[in-house]
Amino acid sequence: MTGTRDTNGRGAGMAVVGQRLARVDAGERVTGRALYPADLVRPGMVAGAIKRSTHAHARIVSIDTSRARALKGVLAVITAADFPAVAPGTIYPFGETGADAWISAVTTIARDRVLWFGHPVAAVAAVDAYVAREALDLIAVDYEDLPVVTDIATATAAGAALLVPEVKPKGFDADAPPPPNACGRTVIARGNTEAGFASAAASASVAVTVDTGHQGYLEPHACVAETDGNGGVTIWASTQGVFPTELQTAVLLGLPQSKIRVVPLEVGGAFGGKITVHVEPIAARLAQITGRPVKIVTSREEVLAGGSGPAAAADVRVDVAADKDGKLLAIEGRYVLDSGGLPGTPTTLMMQASAAPYQCQNLRLEGIDVVTNKPRTEAYRGPGGIQAAFAMEQAIDDLSLQLGLDPIEFRRRNSARTGSTMPIGTPFPSIPFPELMDRMAAHSSWTDPIAPGRLPRGRGVALGYWRGTSMTSAAHLTIAGDGRPMVTIGAVDLTGTRTAMAQVAAEEFGLSIDDVLVQSGDSKSVGYTDVSAGSRVGRTMAAAVSEACRDALGQLRKRAAEKLQCAVDEVSYQAGVFSSSKGGAITIGDLMRATLTEGAIIGRGVSTKLPLGVEIGGHVTDVEVDPETGQVTILRYTAFQDVGRALNPPAVEGQIQGSIAQGAGWALTEGFDYGPDGRLRNASLLDYRMPTALDLPKIDVVLLETPVPGVPYGVRGVAEMPIVPVAAAIANAVRRAVGVRLTHMPMTPERVLSAIKASGRRP
Amino acid sequence: MKTIVTAEINGERREALVDTRDTLLAMLRDRLGLTGTKEGCSNGNCGTCTVLVNGEPVCACLMFAAEADGARITTIEGIADGNTLHPVQAALVRHGGSQCGFCTPGIVLSAVALMERNPDPNEHDIRHAIAGNLCRCTGYDKIVAAIAEAAKASAGERR
Repeated sequence: MTGTRDTNGRGAGMAVVGQRLARVDAGERVTGRALYPADLVRPGMVAGAIKRSTHAHARIVSIDTSRARALKGVLAVITAADFPAVAPGTIYPFGETGADAWISAVTTIARDRVLWFGHPVAAVAAVDAYVAREALDLIAVDYEDLPVVTDIATATAAGAALLVPEVKPKGFDADAPPPPNACGRTVIARGNTEAGFASAAASASVAVTVDTGHQGYLEPHACVAETDGNGGVTIWASTQGVFPTELQTAVLLGLPQSKIRVVPLEVGGAFGGKITVHVEPIAARLAQITGRPVKIVTSREEVLAGGSGPAAAADVRVDVAADKDGKLLAIEGRYVLDSGGLPGTPTTLMMQASAAPYQCQNLRLEGIDVVTNKPRTEAYRGPGGIQAAFAMEQAIDDLSLQLGLDPIEFRRRNSARTGSTMPIGTPFPSIPFPELMDRMAAHSSWTDPIAPGRLPRGRGVALGYWRGTSMTSAAHLTIAGDGRPMVTIGAVDLTGTRTAMAQVAAEEFGLSIDDVLVQSGDSKSVGYTDVSAGSRVGRTMAAAVSEACRDALGQLRKRAAEKLQCAVDEVSYQAGVFSSSKGGAITIGDLMRATLTEGAIIGRGVSTKLPLGVEIGGHVTDVEVDPETGQVTILRYTAFQDVGRALNPPAVEGQIQGSIAQGAGWALTEGFDYGPDGRLRNASLLDYRMPTALDLPKIDVVLLETPVPGVPYGVRGVAEMPIVPVAAAIANAVRRAVGVRLTHMPMTPERVLSAIKASGRRP
Repeated sequence: MKTIVTAEINGERREALVDTRDTLLAMLRDRLGLTGTKEGCSNGNCGTCTVLVNGEPVCACLMFAAEADGARITTIEGIADGNTLHPVQAALVRHGGSQCGFCTPGIVLSAVALMERNPDPNEHDIRHAIAGNLCRCTGYDKIVAAIAEAAKASAGERR
């Protein structure tokens, strides 16, 4: 067992929720039966493939498809001309703000110009994948090169050409005019930071650069699309949300939503990268034209080099100051995200993620996102959080060193707590940071001496925060003729949702998890539900499912009252049995056997605007640094996190461990290497190096459970926060080991080595 | 050009009409419908296509189908005994060692191969055996724990 659990005395009394249960769908995973889109075969199915730009920025002068069309076995060749034009600002419903379908359209296939290397320009359908690939080579695209910009500084330099003039910068004003290629600006400010710095006993400043990273899901983007002969299209997808995929595809194809069905198959990892459509509208259009089912399976090279949305590069600078007693007097942060070829992740959440752990009356955070000629970036697990914390948590560490304070104690003195002011100015809901840090400070990962070794070793600590979202989730359930609840949820199950929701339904009905079925509905069989993202599904779907269960139980209670010949309020329900206070009882199974044909029981649950379940945590790590090679080795890693309540502890631990593995990868080895021509030079999993089992130690997880008021089961978000502190915790450990601050992520051996050399130290 | 490949796959003699350009992975997935073996990179870097060829774990994407003629091949579909899971599979279920599931078949095959050649692996042996199988979801802990438990149980049975 890797985790220890501190339930604070809560969590008792539940039979199914909170138990360490195997996933309901584990068997199909370990036997290879789980069906992903690339595994699906449909009668008459043909292969689709995508032609991609070999220029990072160019005008498309012409596309000649005649030779490809003439190739034997080619059924269709399409370009942007085969899709209706979508105007900028075509907003479709999405989350809290809506999203622009124009971005999805431009991302899916370039119309007049290409904005990044690998940008799709055409697609083919052919009898098999070999013919399809051959046809791609026969498509001749005439490009007129435009200047290529691959970094924030060049993109925003005075006089720089606008890459995407369609984007109107938001959040700027006369005092702060937008630099070229800026998309949006957010400022969070209160108090007077200048005064704070002026009166400080110590201050620290850390400026970092983070290279573009990738979510690294092992399943490349894939889908199958098929027409039904009635004008309808069905898409079997690997997506984080069937509804967003349907909404985007409907706009891109100009189809009414009544004519599109999106069926969720298994998702081989997503982490934020499978929200925007990439292959689905193309496969659907090819299916419409050919009348044949079309499968598109992208290659790893396509995924890395332009066929998906990676995670934003960033330049972040943080300045902090404190008085001699270690009270924070000022925090200033400037966060600039490199969004790639089109606006991507906004900066608001990353700013909050880094500043929210601390109370400080003088605060000024400014965030800007910028376009460059790189693939349009998309969300990645707490988007922006790890980049922001890489600067903030190193600056805080510097300050604790200067003040001679224990880094946990320094953070604890300044930590946010329930009711203190959030960066955005409103009071924090339940946020037990002080309790978390007490736990960290007393834990062996902090109190044990660092294991001795031949090479320099150090211990680092960092905090993490993620706000998460709630948005909306829907579920309904029917009761089978034997009394078993059958639940349909509107969320795609990325990694354990069906299991956790089966636990919730079983708990609500007082039944065993094997008595309950939970399935993810397709986009025509269940109510609108937002994406499986933003640390929201476990919380909000638990609320929807419990509401649906209670709705059904209310209906059942009426039937039971009739059978038991008593008033409804005289009926109680427990563990599958309805009992009358006047005597007499009937099981839910017998009740349904007796009344199934009197009409279906349908329970309904919709969760909207559930209170936030902010995620907080802290990480402690010991690393070893080889001063001869610059190699950083993680020796020990311990993660503390308050999860409100762990619906299924092994699933929660697994999410946290996986987050840390991803964070460690970006921290140490993962970074996109773009040439000056905008070509990705490391578009393989050999050269974009993700951690293997040998690169990581055992990852210890300590779960704390402080329930969130007003949320069923008190659940907090889990899976985004634990990537946030990882790079900073490792960097702080390196600082303690060899005395240098690392400001370029990933912290590759050559960067570590040059930092050591530049410092003139001989550790 | 097409050619016929004959191989013993999961204990059965199978013939497949393959394109000479087909990899072993394409033969298994596209010609024989054994889609439990996954394709994550086509370059031998991710290990999702791991199968056993004559008992040795190999990346099926790095071998031509024609090279498999006469070979003995085990895929994920051949690991469980009917509906009875192999100890490695059962341990992965118990430990929560599979999240998105895409790496899982390859991990199972690498673990089965490890247990064949080393009945008493330590943690380093296990991590080394699956170092060619990338997993992006779990951080490997629960996979390593599952394989350790399965190996221990199997060793116990042999005693």
